[in-house]
Amino acid sequence: MEPKHFYPAVAVLCVLGTGTIAMVRASLSSEQQTQLPPPALGQVDFVRDIKPIFEVSCVQCHARGKAKGSFSLETREDFLEGGETGTPAVAGKSAESLVVELISGLDPENIMPKKGKKLNAEQVAVFRAWIDQGMPWPKEIAFIRHEPANLRPRELADMPVATAFAANPIDGFVDAYFKPHGITWPALVDDRTYARRVWLDVVGLLPPTKELMEFLEDSAPDKRGRLVQRLLTDRRGYADHWITFWNDMLRNDYKAPGGRKQITDWLYPALADNLPYDRFVAELIDPSPDSEGFTNGIVWRGTVNASMQPPIQAAQNVAQVFLGVNLKCASCHDSFINEYTLADAYGLAGVYASGPLEIAECDKPTGRFGKVKFLYESLGTIDADADRGQRKKQLAEIMTSRKNGRLSRTIVNRFWQRFMGRGLVEPVDEMDKPAWSPEVMDWLAEDLVAHGYDLKHTIARILTSRAYQLPGVSPGENESQFVFHGPRVRRLDAEQFVDAIMALTGVEYPAEAAKVNRSAALSSGAAAALPLAPRWIWDNPGAVERTKAGTVTFTREVELAAAPTEAYITLAADNSFDLRINGKKIGAKSSRSNTGTNQYEVTDKLQAGRNTITVIATNEAIDDKERATEALQALKTYGTLDTSAGLILYARIRAPGQVMDFVSDAAWQSEAEGPAPVASAELGGVDLAAWNLGQGFLRFAASTPDRSGGQRASAVLGNPLLVALGRPNREQVVTVRADLATTLQALELANGSTFAAMLRRGAEKLMTDAPSEPERFVSQLYRHALGRDPTAPEATLAVELVGRPASREGVEDLLWVVAMLPEFQLIR
Amino acid sequence: MNINRLLAQHEFSRARPDLWSRRDFLKTASAATLAALAAGSPRSLWAAPEATAKLTPTADRVIILWMAGGMAHTETFDPKRFTPYSAGLDPNAVLCTFPSIPTAVEGVRFSEGLENLAQVMDRGTLIRGMQAADLGFILHSRHQYHWHTGYVPPQTVAAPHIGAWIARTLGPLDSAMPAFINVGQRFDLGEAEELKAFTTAGFLGSEYGPFNISFAEQAADAVRPPAGMSAGRFANREKIYRRLLEASPIGQEGSSYQQESLLRSLDNAHRLLGSPAAKAFDITLEPEESIRRYFPGYVPGVRFDAPKDRLGAKYEEGMVGRFGLGCLLARRLCESGARFIEVTTEYIPFLNWDTHENGHSRLVGMKRMIDAPIAQLVRDLEERGMLDRTLIVLASEFSRDMMVEGKPDKGVKDQVIVPDVINDPKFYGMHRHFTAAGNVLLFGGGMKRGYVHGVTADERPCRTIKDPVVLEDLHATIYRALGIPPDHHYEIEKRPFYVTSDGKGRAVEALFQNPNPGSRARS
Repeated sequence: MEPKHFYPAVAVLCVLGTGTIAMVRASLSSEQQTQLPPPALGQVDFVRDIKPIFEVSCVQCHARGKAKGSFSLETREDFLEGGETGTPAVAGKSAESLVVELISGLDPENIMPKKGKKLNAEQVAVFRAWIDQGMPWPKEIAFIRHEPANLRPRELADMPVATAFAANPIDGFVDAYFKPHGITWPALVDDRTYARRVWLDVVGLLPPTKELMEFLEDSAPDKRGRLVQRLLTDRRGYADHWITFWNDMLRNDYKAPGGRKQITDWLYPALADNLPYDRFVAELIDPSPDSEGFTNGIVWRGTVNASMQPPIQAAQNVAQVFLGVNLKCASCHDSFINEYTLADAYGLAGVYASGPLEIAECDKPTGRFGKVKFLYESLGTIDADADRGQRKKQLAEIMTSRKNGRLSRTIVNRFWQRFMGRGLVEPVDEMDKPAWSPEVMDWLAEDLVAHGYDLKHTIARILTSRAYQLPGVSPGENESQFVFHGPRVRRLDAEQFVDAIMALTGVEYPAEAAKVNRSAALSSGAAAALPLAPRWIWDNPGAVERTKAGTVTFTREVELAAAPTEAYITLAADNSFDLRINGKKIGAKSSRSNTGTNQYEVTDKLQAGRNTITVIATNEAIDDKERATEALQALKTYGTLDTSAGLILYARIRAPGQVMDFVSDAAWQSEAEGPAPVASAELGGVDLAAWNLGQGFLRFAASTPDRSGGQRASAVLGNPLLVALGRPNREQVVTVRADLATTLQALELANGSTFAAMLRRGAEKLMTDAPSEPERFVSQLYRHALGRDPTAPEATLAVELVGRPASREGVEDLLWVVAMLPEFQLIR
Repeated sequence: MNINRLLAQHEFSRARPDLWSRRDFLKTASAATLAALAAGSPRSLWAAPEATAKLTPTADRVIILWMAGGMAHTETFDPKRFTPYSAGLDPNAVLCTFPSIPTAVEGVRFSEGLENLAQVMDRGTLIRGMQAADLGFILHSRHQYHWHTGYVPPQTVAAPHIGAWIARTLGPLDSAMPAFINVGQRFDLGEAEELKAFTTAGFLGSEYGPFNISFAEQAADAVRPPAGMSAGRFANREKIYRRLLEASPIGQEGSSYQQESLLRSLDNAHRLLGSPAAKAFDITLEPEESIRRYFPGYVPGVRFDAPKDRLGAKYEEGMVGRFGLGCLLARRLCESGARFIEVTTEYIPFLNWDTHENGHSRLVGMKRMIDAPIAQLVRDLEERGMLDRTLIVLASEFSRDMMVEGKPDKGVKDQVIVPDVINDPKFYGMHRHFTAAGNVLLFGGGMKRGYVHGVTADERPCRTIKDPVVLEDLHATIYRALGIPPDHHYEIEKRPFYVTSDGKGRAVEALFQNPNPGSRARS
């Protein structure tokens, strides 16, 4: 079912692109002409005889938007017009026609096709006959680019749903799909299987035993739907789980190669707030300083291949992540694997470029420049003359406009793939291909749009569908003839596996790498309630540009009307600070590259009456040899090694009925080494470009540290265990992780030190917390890990391993055994 | 289970997959259903070989000896005019901070401190015109990424390490042995994330990834039960696991693709842990006098995992035995069927070969670190009749020079300040990154003996003036020795990805004892 829309605009545009190397015209000698296969006899039929030759040997480079050497054969007119080397054919004169010369292969230096299948003598003969017969070519046949699937929106009203499936229309469309495939609905999975699936899918955790029991005992018919709704309201669990998916897709990591910029401070709150997907995308495409890391790209250092300049990376990643389109090949040359061209890649990249982007083909400059445009021009245009900020804004508008049906389809397909193990379109990054059920695809996508791009709404739709509740299917067979029977059996991903072990044992990670302030993220709106606006300060106003290295002591006397019941100081300094209250050291931090935000609870450090707050802040010169280059650069440019310096602070001090906040501002005294104290100079507010802390700082300042514990694997750096289990290093966009087991992975699980240490700590903790009676311990573990009681033979074996009384080693070993069971690692 | 029987079973099962029911898989502990499974899941013990067989291999295995951090060619295998240290030295006059010494090959001289290697040069082939890639502003890990994968980052797909390419294409020589073993690098020091980015199987999938051993003296831990767990307990844990698996009501419900892949992978892991090949990882099983040939100062129980700053400016001398033990481990692994081993001196910013100051004195330690053990490795393999089929490749990401950064005339940004006059020994050494020449020393695996390829200028810039070798050609040479054509490739996202960049590498035939007459040299 090919879509009927065509969009010739693309074809016209691509013809404009011209190659720089013209083919040398060397006519065949009359002697050579005699070597040509004679024209075939009989009447040539274009569709039967010529079209197949074009399709096999020509259109890859000369049609569907591509025009190598400016030669296109999309239509008869294009063909006759010819390219750089001239007119390809003159009716009736096949022996003298350029195209015949080229396809004949008589001149080895000038042969077509360059790539792809060469013509045989019989085909040359037919081709000659066709030219001699006047090149008949039915008007309705054109080798133009077809509009790809999954691009256009549809009206929900045009997709009626049978009343039997009104509760979840997905099932109506699946039912309509099942019928012609001769599939009848099997019984849905039991409550335990369902609960395990949705817990893992929504919050990434195993169902806690108590909650699982309550769910099993619940007899209400709508309990599955209510469970999904309840899990979706767990903003923290949701954000902690889904940040992994987005980190993989957006290449966000807490420490990573290439000098990338983290977007965690933006991403985590966006997930916690369930930011509507259109806004989520707009804020990544047209980013704030907090979210610009995604389109900034990864450059490592030095010179980069033309196809990997940051604007092209931005184009590749925007296209892949949000549109399910692979522009990687087209970043270097017109793609051989899909219909995208260099002009497409550079057109999109142009949005992010600081000036005109010269097109390079396979890293060789062509002298041509990309014309800024969207991949699908029928959806909207980008003003090439507008400044970069405007272009990004326009791109964000087109991407999230109602006309772009691809945005919603790409994300619902990704969700379907996650929950069902295989996409409606598969692979998920080839969204130009039709879905196995265009109805499910269209309906889910339009339903997402109709509900304000609420991703949680779509998740609930899928998880409460009967399609999702079908028994698990084993993948791996007959992928080419895929028929949907139900969700595939999946495997716990690295984070789910580790979180499950942590939950089973009650052990927490010692430290997180992602400095996510969860409470800040989860207390949305609180920042707006802060009464004061902190200012960046230093002892001189020029410090925002550069100031001399050294220490400045900032002091502020505050009178508190009452002893506080809640007091937090949030601050950031370039480069370091040492915070003291009434002479007592509270904390210190030095940050050379990234000015991070820090928070200290000082409730019992402050007293009613007078308090002295001191911050000793230091501006470091560039003297480290690791930054020798920077130093040289600074010396060359500024004649000094001085750098910018600043301090910003928010003190949120509360007592019942009292708001006693204060902030960094001109009221602070500043004293550098030498001169007398002066009033601090205000450099600017939180949004000051030099540090770009923005709203994140205020959110932090408004928050109370999260003490609920239970740190998650999504927030730590990749360790050997997580890496072995498939956590990518996020150098590339990863939209789907491999979930098959490997030998190296099994070795890491069998004797790797990370996992061994985790089990040991877990066993130690369990020995203090768990019931000492081995039977009870075993059944507790089985319930939590597998959602069921052990059978009698299982209990006997497990108790044998645990020992009586339970030993630490025994508990450790049983943990390992259970964690290795397919029943534990697989999501059925 | 003995390896031959295992292999026999493996072959058998490949031939007759239908004889092995899925349930039987667990009981037989064999790679039974492998042929019935799609590619991508763990196959055999490690990845099964993939026939290429277009070229006749001259080597069965490869050892890369990685000189991490940039080894100056003029201070090692291509010495120039020596200028001893004296206060007031003009740095422009200094090409070499060591005198040269003769080697076993007449007319070929090495730098002082490489006396042992000089003695085995008659078995070696020396490339003097290695050309590092031109990547502008220098970043070690970026060049190392390029050297190890053949591709320059950033890349749109994760490029596999050369060890992973080889593991994927040839598999292990012994089915219990990991095909790609990486010795000597830690991943929690400087530029760690960058190192991880190329020490990977990339898109080939983690089945072909590196088996990382940071410390050779602790290699046995990698194939032993976890610390604190006795062999008996480890075996019992495994036994109860098998029984609980059979007792599981879910396990009885039949099988799934993932379940089989999971169980097979565990089988494979346990097989390695229990195999005779595992003994190869334990260097303490080596007679002490033989260990001392690799590390004269060896005392049993030595460990090198102290904090990196323990030794300060004497770091390299303090690490002398560590690389030596790595070489010994490599030899033992080769004897037990390893396919690809890399032993690194370890990349740590500003340490080892990464000399930004004290270049001369640090190199004294570096040479002690590599000289005796590499020579011993060559001799040991020769003695065992294995050198002819083992290709040893000593290489570095680029060279160094006192004055020139990057490619001469390119104006690459300097990262080291060189004073106009040297009044402090810390400035005496090759501290800048130089990419217009470099050394690669090869032994065995079909390479010529006592042969030098390429010439560099005797005056600064000491760049290649004859027979340059670029990386894709060096890789093509290594692959050619193993019988892998340079355009061998795998498909990722429908695009072919080649073992050498775009499939365009050309083996340097002149290096081989029996050059392929039909091949075209790069012009």
